[in-house]
Amino acid sequence: MGSDAFTQLVDANYAPLYRFALSLARNQADASDLTQQTFFIWATKGQSLRDASKAKSWLFTTLYREFLRGRRRDVRSTALEDLPPDEADPPAPAVDLVAALDAETVVAALQEVDEVFRAPLTLFYLEELSYQEIAAALDVPIGTVMSRLSRGKTQLRAVLARRGQGTRDNVVPFSTQQVRKAP
Amino acid sequence: MNNEQAKFILRAYRPGGHDAGDATFGAAVEQARRDPALGVWFAREQAFDAAVAAKVRTVAPPAGLREAILAGACMSRPPAAEAARPRWRPAVWLAMAAAVAVLLSVVSVRWFRNAGPGAAPLDAMARFALADPLSAHTGPHADKLGAFGAWLQNPANAISTMPDVDLAQLKADDCRAVTIAGHEVFEICFQRGGAWYHLYLARAGGGSGAPAFEEQAGRSVVSWTSRGLACVLMTGGGADALRHIL
Repeated sequence: MGSDAFTQLVDANYAPLYRFALSLARNQADASDLTQQTFFIWATKGQSLRDASKAKSWLFTTLYREFLRGRRRDVRSTALEDLPPDEADPPAPAVDLVAALDAETVVAALQEVDEVFRAPLTLFYLEELSYQEIAAALDVPIGTVMSRLSRGKTQLRAVLARRGQGTRDNVVPFSTQQVRKAP
Repeated sequence: MNNEQAKFILRAYRPGGHDAGDATFGAAVEQARRDPALGVWFAREQAFDAAVAAKVRTVAPPAGLREAILAGACMSRPPAAEAARPRWRPAVWLAMAAAVAVLLSVVSVRWFRNAGPGAAPLDAMARFALADPLSAHTGPHADKLGAFGAWLQNPANAISTMPDVDLAQLKADDCRAVTIAGHEVFEICFQRGGAWYHLYLARAGGGSGAPAFEEQAGRSVVSWTSRGLACVLMTGGGADALRHIL
């Protein structure tokens, strides 16, 4: 792959890769590292990939594997069996509420979702990979991806609803201000 | 398929319509068209997903990340890419022959900067450092590296008098590492006097080399070898800031 093609590959993919890394690593510095490391690996190994159309999937897969490799096996790692049972589908927060939140708040909410659900959920919202490609990237069966998306969304809704409630609590309705009287 | 099964499938349907041609979703989408209750649920689900996806897409990578990727990956490419070029290009060979004389005159000076087989190439590390984004900090990594991290951040310590560094311990401490020209290079960011510094460390051959300074696009680096380590220190605060803590 020539340098022009490599630059095109970087331009097309580094931003969504960084967003995926930010969701996993939960801080900018480590997310930047993960993104850089992924392209370094491409530069040394990935160019042997015969099917160029699979480059995007390859990059996301590699980034995820690098994240798993570099992460300490500590409390941040959550086993699926440790998670609470799936809850009933809560109502989705109003779309205008999500739209009113800033991107940082939404990403922070996404980062609160358990890691096992967060990876497929972030890939889903990046809209770069199909559910089959997500399954391949995370090395899990397709049915597992669907199940994790479902449970991940449930968690995300709960976090967003909580954050949205906090936002609303900080706002004093105009009508309430009007009826207040000085002591 | 009942509605619960349809919902399970439709939750994997991306909001941008990318999956419209996927047969897996066909029956569930059709069911949502026929069943008003399911249709309302699906529309709300899609609207919610679209709102979240739109927010996620607005997250911008840190400034300089793209340039760092391009610079770093360029240095990490295997020489095989070069081998693919035509082997006989007279103009190149003539230029190379002319360059040999120049190289011979400086090779003794440069040798210590690429200290033998297995050693990390100091120049490549310096170029990587010059392209590394300084804007991506959320906290100094040195905070996680125990006594060595504390030593780096102590203003009383001159970096050139750095104690012996155990690279295996850095690895065990989960220190950040990047691959430069096939070599594992540890990267530690730390602060002194409110200024950020990045220190890059890699295994080097024997011998030691005097510090060499370089500046480019607002970044300054100093690189040297000492006690088996290739060291590069970078800051956006200028060469004087480097000299001050060196």
